[in-house]
Amino acid sequence: MPGVTLRELTRRYGGVAAVERLSLEVRPGELMALLGPSGCGKTTTLRLIAGFLRPEAGEILVGDRRLSSPDAVVPPERRRMAMIFQSYALWPHLTVAQNVAYGLRLRRNCPRAERDRRVRDMLRVVRLEGCEHRYPGELSGGQQQRVAVARALVVEPEILLLDEPLSNLDANLREEMRFEIRRLHEAFGITTLYVTHDQAEAMVISDRIAVLHRGRVVQVGTAQDLFLRPCSRFVAQFVGRSNLVEGVADGRDVVARGALRLRVASAALAPGTPVTVSIRPHQITLSADGRAPAGANVLAGVVRRATYLGDAVDYEVAVDGGGVSLRVTAPPPVRLSAGAPVTLAVEPEACVPLTEED
Amino acid sequence: MSRGTAAARPAVPARIAGVERSLPVWALAALILVLLVALPLGWLGWVSVSSERGPTLAHYAAALSDPRLRSALLNTLVLAFWAGAGAVALGAPLAWLTARTDLPGRRLVRSLVLASFVTPPFLGAFAWVMLAGPNAGLLNRAWRALTGLDAPLVDIFTMPGLIFVVAIYTFPYVYIMIANSLELIPSDVEEAAAILGAGRLRIAVTVTLPLVAPALVSGFILAVLQALALFGSPAILALPAGFHTVTTQIWALFQYPPRVETAAAVSIPLLLATALLLQLQKRLLGRRGYAAVGGRTGQRRAIPLGRWRWPALAGVLAVMACSILLPYGVLAKAAFTRAWAQPLTRDNLTLANWTFTFFQYSATRDAVLNTLELAVATATAGAGLAALLAYIASRRVIVGHQLLAFLALAPVVIPGVVLAVGLFVAYTRPPFVLYGTLWILFVAYLTKEMPVGYSQSEATFRGIHPELEEAGRILGAGRLRVLREITAPLARAGIIATWCFVFIGVIRELSASIILFTPATRVMSVVIFDLKEEGHFGAIAVLGLFMLAMTFAVVVVVQGVLGRDVLGVRG
Repeated sequence: MPGVTLRELTRRYGGVAAVERLSLEVRPGELMALLGPSGCGKTTTLRLIAGFLRPEAGEILVGDRRLSSPDAVVPPERRRMAMIFQSYALWPHLTVAQNVAYGLRLRRNCPRAERDRRVRDMLRVVRLEGCEHRYPGELSGGQQQRVAVARALVVEPEILLLDEPLSNLDANLREEMRFEIRRLHEAFGITTLYVTHDQAEAMVISDRIAVLHRGRVVQVGTAQDLFLRPCSRFVAQFVGRSNLVEGVADGRDVVARGALRLRVASAALAPGTPVTVSIRPHQITLSADGRAPAGANVLAGVVRRATYLGDAVDYEVAVDGGGVSLRVTAPPPVRLSAGAPVTLAVEPEACVPLTEED
Repeated sequence: MSRGTAAARPAVPARIAGVERSLPVWALAALILVLLVALPLGWLGWVSVSSERGPTLAHYAAALSDPRLRSALLNTLVLAFWAGAGAVALGAPLAWLTARTDLPGRRLVRSLVLASFVTPPFLGAFAWVMLAGPNAGLLNRAWRALTGLDAPLVDIFTMPGLIFVVAIYTFPYVYIMIANSLELIPSDVEEAAAILGAGRLRIAVTVTLPLVAPALVSGFILAVLQALALFGSPAILALPAGFHTVTTQIWALFQYPPRVETAAAVSIPLLLATALLLQLQKRLLGRRGYAAVGGRTGQRRAIPLGRWRWPALAGVLAVMACSILLPYGVLAKAAFTRAWAQPLTRDNLTLANWTFTFFQYSATRDAVLNTLELAVATATAGAGLAALLAYIASRRVIVGHQLLAFLALAPVVIPGVVLAVGLFVAYTRPPFVLYGTLWILFVAYLTKEMPVGYSQSEATFRGIHPELEEAGRILGAGRLRVLREITAPLARAGIIATWCFVFIGVIRELSASIILFTPATRVMSVVIFDLKEEGHFGAIAVLGLFMLAMTFAVVVVVQGVLGRDVLGVRG
């Protein structure tokens, strides 16, 4: 099971770079999500990996095979990959069984009996027994999705590519299929790239997430890495919500803003340089009586607004002395209303100084 | 590709070599297209400026200073403008009535419009000779019998007569543009105006009319283009009346002794005029038109006509009578009678015209066979080539695909007569000497029908999501295999329809054939034209009805295959 290496890939559309000097290493057997807003280059990256596009610079390796470079592109049909498309791309003139069997028919070493067996087995895996002779048009959206999955997996590809495969499903089905895809990945262990703009989807499905922005990878890591240690403003705001506090380093692990001083999760700041600190709303605790755990940053403030959201309460708190307001997520019920003085506590580990631009 | 860096595993480079297998197919299709279009046009342009003593503008000077050619030019402008105006006057109200109101018998009206769309205009012109010829025309005879007057009611052999006949067969172009545009306007945009207090007339003037205005103007331009390029109707009606249009003039220049250079010099301005008009029409449609109207098609509610329902229907039927009912009637009468001008009595009825046409007169028999042979060959080659070209363009298979799309659509601006002049020049000399064979007609039809075939195929491929093909590629099928196993089955209905459109276009073609035929390679339309000289109206009617029957049979096939009518108007 080979991994995938992207080195300094560049691809432009009419002068505008869709992907620019993008590098990424996908480990063998890993499920990597490419996460980003629309227009960030994630689908272009996937189509470059599939061989539908030729890179203008850089190269793509699978294991030690070089598949794409500006001079030579191995065509899609020779890449031993499979892909699941946003539209599913099921062939309407072929039955479910014929759709799934298509890739096997192209393998010379797969006799008919074995082909039929593998198609049958795969349809059982995706829970579509009994649908063999129906046409895609006669299936529900979720069933069509599963046919697309079966068609891609049955050929036992080295690499599996998924292009927002769940975006056409309704919310409930989408949640169910997330776990389904994760289950299949654990069963087959195929090196997989999964394009999505939905951070929850990326977190449920993937081993690691690559966040793409403006045609580049800005951060790679597990869901927890990205959430707890975002490296840039973009990641901090795109993956989950975050409070951003702009200040100036006032010591190796202290950031100051006006009268506000925060000890942060770093000991390598150069004093005097501007720093933005990211604080997740749920990592701030708030109390009315001024109690705070030892070692935490303690901030005083006034509640501006409290919004009941059912499973949580979203507070907006104006912090004294810093000219900033912070969003705080606390468990219900609403204990403080607008105008109430409040004490906030944040562990230094939860104050992440952002090291990258952008 | 030559750099061995991909060869970390030795199997890979050999496989890469397999990629290029599809390239010759694309290259060949592109080459054929370039030859088809560029060769005749190139020769046409060259001949119009060449002489034994190098380049010259003498042919243009000769053409423009010849008073006969100048008056032909003027006649063409008059004809084209008024035929276009007439087509709008007929087509626009008809489109509105069938698309937006509760007019009774809308389906029937639509079918009749379709019938006049596919009726070869020269057949209509013949029918109108029999209906409104000054002496023997049936309408004039009835008029004389009714009034006892000596003067005819109408004379079809005049400029207004010609304009009338051209207009009643070009109005479907306007009809299609406007009906399709009206179909895209949901009632709610009109109701939005109504709720703000606008009356019905005000809505029509301030909302509906501006929305269809681009379609209206572009329909007018299409009709003008048709009238400009037409050869049959002017040849049948204008020549006996003693005047020429540009197309008949070009044809006349090919009569013995042929003056090819002058014909080329006259052709070029006609070509430029059509190209210009088409460009104008495109820009009109591109700017607002459908883009503004399109999108989600909302509910449309029929506007009640109230007490105007039946008068409106009467008006519509009067138009259709002129375009379809009377002409078809007189053709049928002529086909089954000894003397078409005489009353329908038992003595007058006969099948002799049919036996004569199909079994005795060798010219017609050969022409029918030639036509069918050419139609099948052109439709097959044309549908195949158009499908390949549209595939190349829609999937951007090779560099320069935009140029191919442009070339495939370019013949739309070439009037048949002009194309024929170009082909005559191109294929009477090496390397391709085709003149005198059926091949030159085949090439002419293939070129002339390419825009129709291409746009039909292009629409077909636009309807097939590229991911359906990519899914096949990534699973291991090469491009040609995907084309064969996935794209072709999905495109089948569209390709069959393309075949039919080309077939219909070929069997009715006259304006290029009339210049390119030789005695051994006559086709049905040419024979019909010649039979007129001999006064064989019975045989003309038989051939005409036969041609119509074939056309309608094919139209029925298309409607079955596409599940919609040929006009593109939803039922």
